[in-house]
Amino acid sequence: MLSRVAENLYWFGRNLERVENISRMAEVSYFASVEAGGLDADPEIWDAVITATGGHGRFDEAREANPDISPSEFLLLSTENPNSLRSTLNYARSLARQLREHLSSDVWEEINRLYLEVRRAGPADGSGMAEFYDSVRRSIAAIFGLFDNTVQLDEGRDWFRCGIFMERADMTSRIIDAKSYVALPAGQTVGGPVDRVHWTSVLRSAGARQAFRMTHRAPPSGPAVAAMLVLSERFPRSLRFCVRAFRRHYEGATALTPPAVSVHVSRELALLDLDLSSLDERRLTEERLHDFLDTFQARLIGIDEHLHEQIFRLIPSSVG
Amino acid sequence: MLSAYEQLAGPDEMLDREGRARPAYAEFASRLASWTIDDIDVRQQRAELEMLTGGITFTVYEDDAGAERIFPFSILPRVVAAAEWRMIETGLIQRVRALNAFLADVYSSQRCISDGVIPVDVLFGGAGLSLRMVDFEPPLGVYAHIVGTDLIRDQDGHFRVIEDNARTPSGVSYVIENRRVMLNAVPDLFPEGAVQSVDDYAERLLETLIAVRPEHVSHDETRVVILTPGGYNSAYFEHAFLAREMGVELVEGHDLLVHDHTVYLRATTGLEPVHVIYRRIDDDFIDPLAFRPDSALGVAGLADAYRAGRVTLANAPGVGVADDKVVYRFVPDFIRYYLGEEPILPNIETYAAVLPEDMERMCANLDQLVTKPAGESGGYGIVIGPQASDEELRALEERVRADPRNWIAQPLQEFSTIPTLLDGKLRARRSDLRPFILTGESSWVLPGGLTRVALRDGSYIVNSSQGGGSKDTWVLRTPLERDG
Repeated sequence: MLSRVAENLYWFGRNLERVENISRMAEVSYFASVEAGGLDADPEIWDAVITATGGHGRFDEAREANPDISPSEFLLLSTENPNSLRSTLNYARSLARQLREHLSSDVWEEINRLYLEVRRAGPADGSGMAEFYDSVRRSIAAIFGLFDNTVQLDEGRDWFRCGIFMERADMTSRIIDAKSYVALPAGQTVGGPVDRVHWTSVLRSAGARQAFRMTHRAPPSGPAVAAMLVLSERFPRSLRFCVRAFRRHYEGATALTPPAVSVHVSRELALLDLDLSSLDERRLTEERLHDFLDTFQARLIGIDEHLHEQIFRLIPSSVG
Repeated sequence: MLSAYEQLAGPDEMLDREGRARPAYAEFASRLASWTIDDIDVRQQRAELEMLTGGITFTVYEDDAGAERIFPFSILPRVVAAAEWRMIETGLIQRVRALNAFLADVYSSQRCISDGVIPVDVLFGGAGLSLRMVDFEPPLGVYAHIVGTDLIRDQDGHFRVIEDNARTPSGVSYVIENRRVMLNAVPDLFPEGAVQSVDDYAERLLETLIAVRPEHVSHDETRVVILTPGGYNSAYFEHAFLAREMGVELVEGHDLLVHDHTVYLRATTGLEPVHVIYRRIDDDFIDPLAFRPDSALGVAGLADAYRAGRVTLANAPGVGVADDKVVYRFVPDFIRYYLGEEPILPNIETYAAVLPEDMERMCANLDQLVTKPAGESGGYGIVIGPQASDEELRALEERVRADPRNWIAQPLQEFSTIPTLLDGKLRARRSDLRPFILTGESSWVLPGGLTRVALRDGSYIVNSSQGGGSKDTWVLRTPLERDG
């Protein structure tokens, strides 16, 4: 497969997954802030999400240029925000456009349909936002499903899935980490009612609330939520699950690649997988959680960089 | 519904002067008879929606970066009778044979000059000539593998060639997609079993490209790719479409590299040799070492690999000399000179300002003529004499006299119209036809073609960049004409 096509499939998967995650996080913040008394009632609710999507500081700039823009609008529909749901979707769609001959027309038409729907959407703060979030996620699920069921099974699918799981691992770790930006109000204690609401919203943002409820008796607490979202072998959005899935698809994608080229990323993935398998849950307590997530994200970034240098953009030293 | 239909000066494809359906349209018209304008409108909107969701779009350069539009589509088709199509087909194949013979001559002995078929100023004055092609013969002697020739039906009802496109003609993807959309939107308008399929194009194209492979590779080993300038090119949709339909890789310049005169594809599994490149980038951009050094679109070393016979480029570099608007004037002479035949499809009467006698007749009649710059395409720079002011005409004359090689002129053609639904009414709109001709071992014409239609009131310009739209083209399988 063409290296450029492999790279584009990887980023196609990443950006679709990112759209889904943004929509999930935005939905949680949206309803939390409406309940708290309006979109501007509690800026911290949005700060956490905007930071998690890489838009730290950008919202303030956008506000200076346009005082009326709501955080919801900025996060979802703004084309000024390169990390908004819409910008991310536009990028995914432009990749799909370049990948058309590698996608089935079903996949192309679904992403194109979603693109047209989001282009027509707005404003991002009226009634009926639940339908919008719902529709976005349903469409992403449809694309994933259509990809599985209508695109030929070859290394391209593995690169697509590598992208999905890389992004999911990254996003889940950011969603957990976002909690550390939200300070508990004075008088509230760890494990108290506000803390519980915070951790519940972390679960919701990761689409894990129901799964948590089915496996835990106790109400959501920091250690229990972190343990599930980092270590669960069965929950398909946990860090461990994602790393393992990424690793499996990477091995599939590079089955025919010369080992000298593919082995570096292989090794890093194996080490990360091992480290997660043998992780001491005590490293996930409140005080140490942020450092752990920081290190985890740095390792993902390292893997992503090596993937580009060694697989996607390798300059052959000799030909033949 | 058609009672209020106002015909223009030229003939109408569907109706005769008395408003009766012509024989080729007889069955279509009887099916359409029970329809209202609203019925047509509903189907038209369905077709347009399908094109938008299908992403059947082209990129408009002047708009925001990468803005896409659908090519405006009209569901009332052009219908071509079987017998007439046979004439068109034979005429096109004849013309492409002559163009290839001319190219072979230009890049070898240039008998056409010594025998006075074409003046030396005309041949060497244009931009399409490539010195790198001199004394090089491409596989099977074919230069122009894929040609799109623009035809119009004139005042007297005869098809004439208005332009040859021999470099990177585009539009064939719309021919195929328009048909798919039509089959879905108006299945009830198709005369049963009578319309020829256009589905075979990609198969034929792949066969053609494999047929012109370099000698050293076998048929089954031949690796074909399409080379595109990338996603922002206006015809990107078509490049991706053809790659998908043929099952070949769509590559950009940086996906390829040349080593020891062999072209390789950069793949995740290593480097893989490439043998035939259907290039959709212009000559100038093919190879920064050979042509424009600032081009990031091409592949360094590709021109040498081509001359070494290790890879085939389709179409060959240097074919631009054959579809030059001034050289066009001489194509009927090429047919007589190289083939010893009379042209089946005539040209339009054309004056080339580079010829002194033409220049004077041109300048004396600019207000009657359509004057076109030879170095432009897409309908840009055309001056329609009868619609231009005296001032515009004076400025035009200055420009023509300053740069004679760059100007041609033709009498204004009242070419044929086809009914088109616009603002709730059927209106007569002028349209041309671009069939596609493939040449490998032999030539083949896709039974159909891109029918473009000028949507603006009174317009003679059908180009998509100038607000033109398109229609499906039905070539009938058996003569349906009921003599009359």
